[in-house]
Parts: sequence; structure tokens; C-alpha cells
Amino acid sequence: MPKTPLVAVVDDDEAIREALCDLLMVTGLECSTFDSAPAFLDNVQNHFDCLITDVRMPGMSGIDLLERMRAGGSDLPVIVLTSVIDSSARARALDLGAQAWLTKPVADDALLDQLKAAIGAEDWPDGPEQ
Amino acid sequence: MTTQVSEPDIADFASESVVIFDIEGAVHYWNPASEALYGWPSLTMVGRGIGHLSTRSENEREHWRMLLQEGTWQGVVSRRTPSGIHIAVDIRQYVRFAQDGTPRDVIEYGRQSLSDGAVPGADWHIPDRLMAASWEIDVSASEALIAQIARLRGEADAEAQLNARHNDLVKAARIINVNERTMRLVGGNRGRDLMIGQPVAGFWPLESRATLGELIVDAMTGKTEDATYRRQLPSDGILRDPLVTVWRAETPGRIYAAVNGAVDDDRSYVYLRASEARYRKLVHHMPIALWQVDASHMGRIYNDIRATGVTDFGAYLDEHPELVELAATTVQITDVNRAAVQLLGGSSALDLMRPVGYLFTVNRSSLRNVMIGRFNGQTSHEEITKIETFDGRVLDVRMSVTYPKVLAELDVTIFSFEDVTDRMSMEAEIRQLQADFTHAARISTLGELTTSIAHEINQPLAAIVTNAETSLRWLSRAEPNLPKVHQLTTRIVDSARHASDIVQRIRGMAARRPPERVELDLNEVVEEALQFVRHELESRSIKLSVKSGRRLPLVLADRVQLQQVIVNLLGNALDAVRNEPKRVITIAAADPDARERVLFTIADSGPGIAPDVLAHLFEPFVTTKPAGKGLGLGLMLSNHIARSFGGELRARNLVPDGAEFVVILPLADVTEAASHVR
Repeated sequence: MPKTPLVAVVDDDEAIREALCDLLMVTGLECSTFDSAPAFLDNVQNHFDCLITDVRMPGMSGIDLLERMRAGGSDLPVIVLTSVIDSSARARALDLGAQAWLTKPVADDALLDQLKAAIGAEDWPDGPEQ
Repeated sequence: MTTQVSEPDIADFASESVVIFDIEGAVHYWNPASEALYGWPSLTMVGRGIGHLSTRSENEREHWRMLLQEGTWQGVVSRRTPSGIHIAVDIRQYVRFAQDGTPRDVIEYGRQSLSDGAVPGADWHIPDRLMAASWEIDVSASEALIAQIARLRGEADAEAQLNARHNDLVKAARIINVNERTMRLVGGNRGRDLMIGQPVAGFWPLESRATLGELIVDAMTGKTEDATYRRQLPSDGILRDPLVTVWRAETPGRIYAAVNGAVDDDRSYVYLRASEARYRKLVHHMPIALWQVDASHMGRIYNDIRATGVTDFGAYLDEHPELVELAATTVQITDVNRAAVQLLGGSSALDLMRPVGYLFTVNRSSLRNVMIGRFNGQTSHEEITKIETFDGRVLDVRMSVTYPKVLAELDVTIFSFEDVTDRMSMEAEIRQLQADFTHAARISTLGELTTSIAHEINQPLAAIVTNAETSLRWLSRAEPNLPKVHQLTTRIVDSARHASDIVQRIRGMAARRPPERVELDLNEVVEEALQFVRHELESRSIKLSVKSGRRLPLVLADRVQLQQVIVNLLGNALDAVRNEPKRVITIAAADPDARERVLFTIADSGPGIAPDVLAHLFEPFVTTKPAGKGLGLGLMLSNHIARSFGGELRARNLVPDGAEFVVILPLADVTEAASHVR
């Protein structure tokens, strides 16, 4: 039985972190949450299958986080989920190899489709264990 | 225009006795010098025969017949004074004839005969100073009281009781008539008509009321009809060593009183009169409405209350509101000027010469304040109040009250009312404009923060959408996970509430409503204001350091306006550090000099403020921002708002870099205490 994919969620808003995590869990994915970019970087050695990050956060932005990861050689799939409409930031994120740039509020299917693309259909779970 | 000056007017100022008789020998005119010479007031002489002055009336009749035949006579006669003493008088009498040759009247000039050995007094040339202040008084209603006093006089230890009864008698005694001098000395320009019919006590100095009562009883109960009763009184602030003479009048139940004495003033009385006339003319034509009030009896009531140990008169009046009503109905207005009549739309001064109550129909509390001022011994009192005119308009007025000096000659309080209705409406308009302006600035600030606000609301909405979709997924499973759905739904409610709170806050900022001053926790207001700009700060990676120490005392301010000031200052700080390598904004609140004020400080690590800008920082349209980015009104308005709270806004540059703005706010309880003192 393949292992359950693990997704990291970085957002300074607790309500968003919890909502995303619950969505991932109903889909059958596992989830780790971080309230800031540095908090995630401290745990970057963990094996994550995908990262969902906000852009505007105190301390370090999601774009800066992406830059730091790529500079450190990480090729982890990253989905940017933000309410910021900033085309240059979007272009920069895609340049750095972001899987997708989605805006809040996001439709669940749109997010899960991108996650499926990032993780791969073969690893995609059938649903949560009851 | 020609001015007619009648003889008596001129003779009023003559130093010689001038008497005009009709051809029957009855006195038609009796000048002040005659009053001084003979001691008989004009009041008692006019209409009387010459025989009243003479004990030898047979001789007088013969003399009169000869005078009318011959036309003139000169010589020394003996005349009787009220005290019964006879004095020798040098007189010159002239008959004046009508055009048809018949005698019209007799004019007599007289002065005390020097051959008599008497030396005229030093005041002879100022007859007014010696003229008696005379009164005709009705005591017919007090027969029982007089009889009671007469009985008491025989009893031992009745002094205190007698004293009270004597006072009662003066209170019951009514004024039938007074002469000019009485009017001037104690009438407070009330005019004779306003004195007639009033109790004597209202005009007679308190110190000598009992003495007057005593003399009245003496006169009314004396065996001899013509007897006079006199007493020297202590100086009373009006007359120096006054001498009161009382005798029974011809009319039953009435007495005459004559008070002699020099006016207690170093200036000559003539000069005083002239200056009083000038003063009255000045007052009369003053463009400000003036009321002259005699509140002497209230002054005495205050003394009595003070004697019982009352110090907080306001509290006393709260317990005794009837005292305010007493003042409203008994404190008499004794004079008003033309502007006063105009202000109230009266037809003549008489319309206004009433008890003061009508001045305080809109605002009774103003009368209360006036009374408290007098009680506390203030020299004046001023307040903005409202007054109703005779045609029912209500005016905003600035009322100024000048109290009499303690122990002043006359107890005269002056009220002035200045119509400030126009000024008030202008001030109201300016206040409205400022409020509109402040509101417009808030709306503009909200406009600039749209992105931040949108982000702020979008967060809970995003959470709601995701939670709702997740719930649907749980529900659509073969075996719905209801506990999970329950949990998610609870979260949805929380997020919706959060979104609603944000909307509420923005609505508060956008609302147009009059500012109110309430007690606020500064830390709380700062926290709320921060929510408007937090995302601006985060998106620009600006480090915000909040140093709020221990719990601060409450400040007195308008919540929304204070938020506006903080958001405005934060916005400026944000712009200042936006392009700097070091981007730090520090917020701190403290009460350095405990229990006086709270300082709220916003410091930034920006380039600071150029010295030439710093000097004009709080003036309108001063801005360092690029065109199209701010009008340069924010700091002016922030300063205005801080001042409206009773605080202020200060700015300075920091070393080595950055600028600091300090909002100084008054404490809630200190302000309250201060307003109590005022």
C-alpha cells in the first residue's frame, strides 16, 4: 500500500490553515501546517510531497520562501494560494517553478486538481480512511 | 429745538432757600436749600400754608395782606423747624404779577440770619448734601403690631422680641411717597412710581430698620400730635452719621420720616450727581444690553445660609430648588438700558422692570449658576445661555454678571446679555465643516486602504468557502461524517463573524456621525487601528514593533477619530520607510507623568522630516508625497482631532534617523475632575 502523500500548508491565518488541512484530509492526504515561512524552512528536511503557501505574511513572504527553497536546490512542487492580485509576483513565482498560482477563495476542485498534478495520479489516494 | 428751563429746576441748585407761595399763602414750591434751612422736607410743605412755619399766625395774615399790596418785603422772621426750635431767617419776598396786573404768586428768598449768631455750616454752598431724604409712610395696617410693641416695652427681657417686632413693622410699612433725594440714595434709579406702595424695608438699610420701627412706634403712640422723634444712626454706607426724624402726619395711620446726613462719599454730592448722570447716559446708550438688579435681600439670605455652615451652595440649591424660584420672583430689576429693551423686543423699559424670572425661562439653571457665583463671593460670572424674547424667539446669549463688591454702597448687580445667536450658528457651521472634512479624510484613508481591507475580508471568506466545500465532501460520502461536519460548520460561523466584525469596523470608520468623547483603552484602539494597516505593513515587509507596557489609564476621546489619527500616522510612517533598506515602525504608549496624560508614540526608521517642512507640518496642504498621493491634510486634521480631545500632536526628528509623532491625550478622570472645578 503506497504511503499517504504529505502536504505542507504555510499561512499566517489559522482559519485558512485549518480549512485547507480539513480539505486535504477528506481527500485522503496528510497535512502539516506552519504559520510562517521561517517555521516551514526549519522543517524543510521533512519529506513533503507538495507545499501550499500564502504570499503576504509577516517576516518572510511566500515568494521569498520559494526563492530560498530553489536556491537551496529544493524542487518541491509549490502551489501559491493568495488573495493578492499582483502580476509581477505571479510571474516571479511561475519563473521559480511554482506549480500554480491560485487566488482565494479557491474552488476545492481547482486546488485538488493542481495537487493531483503535483503529486501524481499514481500516488493520489482514493479517499480518507474511515 | 428750544429747551424750556422752568424756575424750580434752576432753584433746585440755588444755595438760598427759595420758596414760591400762591397768593393764598400756600407753599407751591420748596427748594432743597429750604429743606436744609428749615428741616421740613418739600414733601410735607407743598400745599401747606405759611402759618405752618410760624407760631404767630395772626401776624402772618396781616403781613401777607401788606405784602400783596406793596409787592415786596425784606426782614428777619422767626420760623419753626420740625424739632420745634425757632430759627431767625433773613428773607426777601417779591410778589410777581400776571399780565393783567393781578398778583400771580410770591417768591421768597431766605437764609439763616447772621444776626442770630449762628454761623452757616461749611456745607452751606452744597445744599444737596444737607437736604433731607424724606418719606411718607403708611402704617395703618399695623395698628395691632404697634399696640403689641407698646405692651412689650413694659416687659423685662423683651429686647430680642422687640427688635424682631420693630423689623416686622418696617416690613409691613408701605411707602406713600418719597422725595428726589430718597429716590437717589436708596431707590437705585427705580423711579418714584416703582417705590410707591412697596414695603419700606426693601429700601431702608438693614442696620437701622429696628431703629426706624422704634421711632414709628414712638410717633404713633406719642401723646402730642406734633411731636418729633429723632435718633442718630451709625453710618450705613449711604449716609454719614444719618439723623432720622419721624413725626405723625395729618392723615391718620401715616408718618413722615426725614433722614439728614452727608452722603458717605468724599466727592461733593453735586459732582457725584453729575458723574452719575454721565454714567447713566453712558449706560443708557451702551450698545450692549444691561440690566441692573437689586438682589440685596438674597445677599442677606446667603449670609444666613453661610452662617449655618453651608459651603457647597450648588448641592444646597439641589435640595432647596424653591430658593431659585424665590430669586426668580423677588429679585427686582431696577433699571435697564435701551439695548436691553431692543434685545427683548419690549416697547419700553417698564416692560423689563420686573423680577428677574423672565430672563431665565429657557434656562433656569443659569439663574442657579448666577446665585452660586454670588454665594461663592465671585466678582463676576459668565456663561453662554438662552433667553426668550417677548415675541417668543429664543436667542443664544453670552450672559455676564458683575456682582456688587462686598459692603458696597448700593447692592447693585449688573447683568449684560449679548446676542451670540449668529456667532453660535457660525461656530456650529464651522464645526460641521470640520466634521465633514474629518469624515471626508477618513473616507479617503479607507480608499487608500482598499487593498488591505479587501485582503482582510477575503481571508475569512476563503476559509468559509473551503470549509463549506469540505463539509459537502464529508456529507456526500456513503457514511457522512457528521461530527466533522459539525466542527467545520462551527468554524464557518466563526469566520463569518470575523468577516462581519471587519465590515463593522469599516462601517464605523466610514460613518458620518458627531464625535463623542468617551473613556477609551488606548491599547484597544491601537489594536483596532492596526487591523486596517496590518497587511500594508506585511506586504512591504515592514517590521512593526509594538511596545505597550502595563495597563494604561483610560483616555477621553472619540474612538473612530482616534483610530483615524493612528491610521493616518501609521500610513505616513509606512510611506516614510517604504523605500528604505531598514523598515521599522515602533508604536509605544505610556503615561510618563503618571495620572496626567497618556502619550502615544509612532516612530519610523525613515529619512526624517526636512526642517523647512517640520515648521509647517500641521498646516493644510503641506505634503512631501508625490502629486496625486495625498492632499497634505492628514496631519492638520490629526492635530485638530487631538486638540478637540484636549490633547495635542507633536512631531520631531530622531537621531540618527527617522521621525517620531507623539499624540498626547488627556486622561478620562483628570479631565472630569478639571471640568468639575470649572
